[in-house]
Order: sequence, then C-alpha cells, then structure tokens
Amino acid sequence: MDEFDNNEIGRLLRLKKYEQPPPGYFENFLHEFHRRQRDELLRQPLWRIALGRAQDFMMSLNVARMASYPVAATAVLLCAAVISLKIYQTTPAPNVARLSPAVPAQQAAEGGWSLAAPVSTRFTVSQPRTHLSTHRAATPPRYVLDSMPVSYESSLRF
Amino acid sequence: MDQPRIDEDQQLVARTQDGDAGAFDQLVVKYTPRLYGLVYNMTSNHEDTNDLLQDIFSKAYKSIRGFRGKSSFYTWVHSIAVNMTLNFLKKRGRRFHLSLDDVDASIQNDKEFLEVTQTSSPVREADLSELQLRLNEAMMKLSDEHRAVVTMFHIQGMPHAEISKILKVSEGTVRSRLFYANRQLQNYLDEFRKNPVT
Repeated sequence: MDEFDNNEIGRLLRLKKYEQPPPGYFENFLHEFHRRQRDELLRQPLWRIALGRAQDFMMSLNVARMASYPVAATAVLLCAAVISLKIYQTTPAPNVARLSPAVPAQQAAEGGWSLAAPVSTRFTVSQPRTHLSTHRAATPPRYVLDSMPVSYESSLRF
Repeated sequence: MDQPRIDEDQQLVARTQDGDAGAFDQLVVKYTPRLYGLVYNMTSNHEDTNDLLQDIFSKAYKSIRGFRGKSSFYTWVHSIAVNMTLNFLKKRGRRFHLSLDDVDASIQNDKEFLEVTQTSSPVREADLSELQLRLNEAMMKLSDEHRAVVTMFHIQGMPHAEISKILKVSEGTVRSRLFYANRQLQNYLDEFRKNPVT
C-alpha cells in the first residue's frame, strides 16, 4: 500500500503529541505567568485597579443573591425619599431688587459725567447708545414739557 | 476515570473563586501541557504558542468568577484557548514561519510509531523530521477551523461531542470538517511522497 490512508494519517497526527517545547519550559511557565500578571497590574491605570477591587468586593458580597424584590423595593423607596427631601428643602430664591448704579460703570470710568468735564462733546455723536440701559429703560416713558407742569386750570394771578 | 478529575477541578475552581490564587496555579500546571499541544498544533510556532498560552490563562483567571460550572473547567478553558487562537490566526493571516518543537525521545517506544515505521508504508521512506515538517506544512494549508478539529480529534484524542461543545457547532459539522481535512492532508502527503524534496 503506497498511499496514505485515513488511518495512517490519524496515526501520523497522533505522533505529533511527541513534539515538545524546549526542556524546562513547563517548569518555568508558571513563574513567567506570575511575572506577566504583575507587569500587567503595574501597567493598569489606578481607576481600573480601583474598579477591579470594587467589583471583587461586590462579588464577595454576593450581590446576585441579595438582589431580590424586597431589596429592590427598599432601594427604590430610599431613592424616592432622598429625592423628595431634596425637592422640599430647596428654599425659593429671595425676590430682592438688585441695586443698579445710577451712572453706568463704563461712563463713570470714562469720566464722562463728572461736573467738571464738558458734557456737550460727549453726546453729539449720533450713534445709537443701546448699551446705556439704566433702570429707567424698563419703565414706561414720561413726558415732561419744558419742565413745566401741565394744567388746565387758569393760573391764579392777583 | 474522568469523575475524580472533574471533582478535583471543581474544587480548585471554587477555591479560586474564593480568592485562592494558589488553586488557580494548580489548574495552570495541570492544563499547560495539554493546552500547549492544542495551541502549538494550531499555530505551528513555539513563540506564538507561548504568548497565546499566557494570554489564555490570564483571561481564564480574570473571568473565572463568571464560570458557573455548566460545563467542566476542561471544556471551558479549551473553549477560551480555541477561540483566542482562532482570533489570533485571523489577525496573523498568512504571515508565519514554522518553528518546530523537538520530538520527544519517548516516541521510539510508542506503539503507533513502531507500527507506522515498521509496516510497509510511505513513512518508512521519509526521514521522521522531514515528515514532521511536511505534516506541519500540510496542517497549515488547512483552514483554521479545520485545523482546530484535526488537532482536537487526532492529536488530543477528544471525542466528537466534546469538540462540538468547545467549538459550539453540531457534531455533524465536526465530522464533516474532519472528513474534508483528512482528504486534504492525504492529498498533500501523497503529493510529497510522489515528489519528495531532497
């Protein structure tokens, strides 16, 4: 019989179990395994080590067994209690009007409104001064005619 | 015969799960030679085998807390080894070089070796180391999945059912892969016999 048949191939392949690594390989394997584990541990970031330890701790508590319906219900009630406490404890923000300076800070810094400085040069430029918003901007406009009070009664002259 | 071994493994696994690293060391020592044979015959390279074995045991150690004992530790660790090796082979592609391990001297006393070399077979015509090289080459010509089946069945002596559990395929698939792989190996070795390279 000159050809390889199935049995012969099987036999040949079984002989491959005699192919062995260099002598002492298996004896050193465990040592090498420990060394690699230590190296790997040193290379890990701190957060991962902490996470691993937390996981180990949780596993040691056997969380899966603890996770029953009563425990879950208690956890939900606890969360609800904490959240409701937070909601009712929040005090409303004090409704106090903010004092705004009568003179805008920018103008005061420029020294534009001091009595000593000439005012005319400041307001001749016809540009919209939108940034000059004082507390008056929010109030409805008042009309004063030449600083004289308006009255329909005849002036009393004697 | 298997029962005490499985019980012993279960105890070692339980101790490891309780944090006894020494118990895992015992499992490593016990399964290293067997897993070495599996990975080496799938990669045909000693350095790759060494790196892979380290990674396999490292992964097994990290995930042993999730091992619930639905299968034996033996099947579980073999599944990790086969999957990791197949992934590695996919990444490695065709870039590899054979690095043959030495044949153990005890082969001379093996019944199968004597049968193979003493009967009138083509094996007699070839030098054993040459044949070893050719066989490894032939193995590397198989697809990764076929090589895995051949390694587990012929070299490791696992039954079809065990292989199907490890590979998570049906027994029929295991048998058909084995049949196809045997035919391919046969063709390759016949070619070598007809045209031996001197």
